Amino acid sequence: MTLLKRLFMLTLATGLILPFVIVTGVSINAESNISFPPSALSARWYTVLFSESDWLIPIGNSILIAIIAAFVAVSIALAANYVLWRLQSGYGRAIFALGIGPFMLPPIIIAMGASVFWAEAGLYGRVEATIISHGVFFVTLPLVIIARGFAALSDDVIEASRTMGATPWQTFAKVIFPLVLPYVITGYALVAIISVNEYLISYMVSGFAVETLPIRIFNNVRYGYTPVVASAAICFAALTVGVLLLLSLVTDLLKLLGASRD
Amino acid sequence: MRRAALPYAIGLFPLGMMVLFFVGPLAFMIVVSFYESDPLGFYKIAFVWENYGKFFSSFYYTISLRSLWSASLGAVLVVLLAFPAMYIIVDMPRRWQLFWVILLLALMCLSEVIIGFAWVIVLSESSGVPKFLGWIGLWENPRSLAPSFGAMMIGYITLGFSLVALMFFPQMAQRDRSIEEAALTLGTPPLQVVTKVILPTFRPAILSSLVTMFVYFLGVYVMPTMLGRPQNWNMTVIITDKAVGDANMPLGAALSVIMLLFTLLVIGALWLASRKGRAS
Repeated sequence: MTLLKRLFMLTLATGLILPFVIVTGVSINAESNISFPPSALSARWYTVLFSESDWLIPIGNSILIAIIAAFVAVSIALAANYVLWRLQSGYGRAIFALGIGPFMLPPIIIAMGASVFWAEAGLYGRVEATIISHGVFFVTLPLVIIARGFAALSDDVIEASRTMGATPWQTFAKVIFPLVLPYVITGYALVAIISVNEYLISYMVSGFAVETLPIRIFNNVRYGYTPVVASAAICFAALTVGVLLLLSLVTDLLKLLGASRD
Repeated sequence: MRRAALPYAIGLFPLGMMVLFFVGPLAFMIVVSFYESDPLGFYKIAFVWENYGKFFSSFYYTISLRSLWSASLGAVLVVLLAFPAMYIIVDMPRRWQLFWVILLLALMCLSEVIIGFAWVIVLSESSGVPKFLGWIGLWENPRSLAPSFGAMMIGYITLGFSLVALMFFPQMAQRDRSIEEAALTLGTPPLQVVTKVILPTFRPAILSSLVTMFVYFLGVYVMPTMLGRPQNWNMTVIITDKAVGDANMPLGAALSVIMLLFTLLVIGALWLASRKGRAS
């Protein structure tokens, strides 16, 4: 039974990790056609990735969008959670429910809606449109994560700050915010990574004008590609895992995802 | 009275953002679905049923059935793999749990484009599994395994696995293990413990993850285009092609509205079922 379990988990882990091992192999191959195992090692595809404007511009676009979109998403999530926490009423719950909405719908519907909306607003093809759409549509994750932070707040601290004469703003800034900050940071980091990786919304809102890294990679794979794509993919994966490892140092990821009751 | 007014005012910010940029676009999409397409611009203001009329043809019929089939098959496969996997993971030592959680989170965040590309490489004759099989002599004339329906399903599974596994995580980790132990010590065969104790406990979670995945797979674009053949393409690919490729936004909007209604129907049915389950 234990052997069967181990075998099952090993197969799964292999299936999830193997693709990236092979892609790494392809990315460090000196030859200019895709092949594995590599015949001679070289970092030339990484040099191309970080020196040609074909790649640098999409990288810049993606990072810009992610940084601001994550800020938008987290501010919405924080405000919504604060309101729900202060007023346990239908108003607070309605706002919270609206934030869950984007997660429930197929991405294409959201992308199509955003596409016509920005076309009408005259911002179709502009980077601002992608930023706001990402910020609003990825609100669900920080919303749920920050909610855990608010659930973990003990009434004593709040009560103490209130009886000592703190205004609601002081209570928020000096007591609540520091306590929920780890959750806010985690939410920010996750939205930023998801935004950097997102394809369909970016493509349908401003894909032809603002090329993001996933759009660049997709077009490249579709219309003949070189190992630069592999090096871009690996940098992406490394960045994603790196941010998550950093997060695991700052917060208890297992607890955050609900391993134990708060 | 003043104390309560402030949170209401703060609430206007998230409320306004979500209504303006989430509900607004969906509502406007419904409006556009009645417009006429305009070869020179985005659309012409009109009120026609023509875009919906197009849906009722054998072409869209086939596409719809195909989308439903690939989305349901994908959802079932993902849950079949993720449920036992997470069941095993939550009982691992903390270090291994953390390893799996980071791996799953990374895969959840990682672009569809990257995962799709990685599988294209793995299934290609020049660098992946076919080459390896040819090399060890199991496959005489290796050929690329992608694009194909199977490759597309592998892509779906890699995409959904992390999400479903992480959805199961809280309930699995917090579950009351003493019931299973009691059943086992009382001499219940392990298989019966699974069917009589574990599965009933997780029935709502399994059901909702099946529906979530089904809805999610209805809306994937990259996996079918990268790993599937044109005869595997789902409604999402067609919508994108119509709206962006043919610049026919009203038709794309109408097809999206149909998908939206269908999705709301499925979610509503799940909600009703879960309410009934709780009442009885």
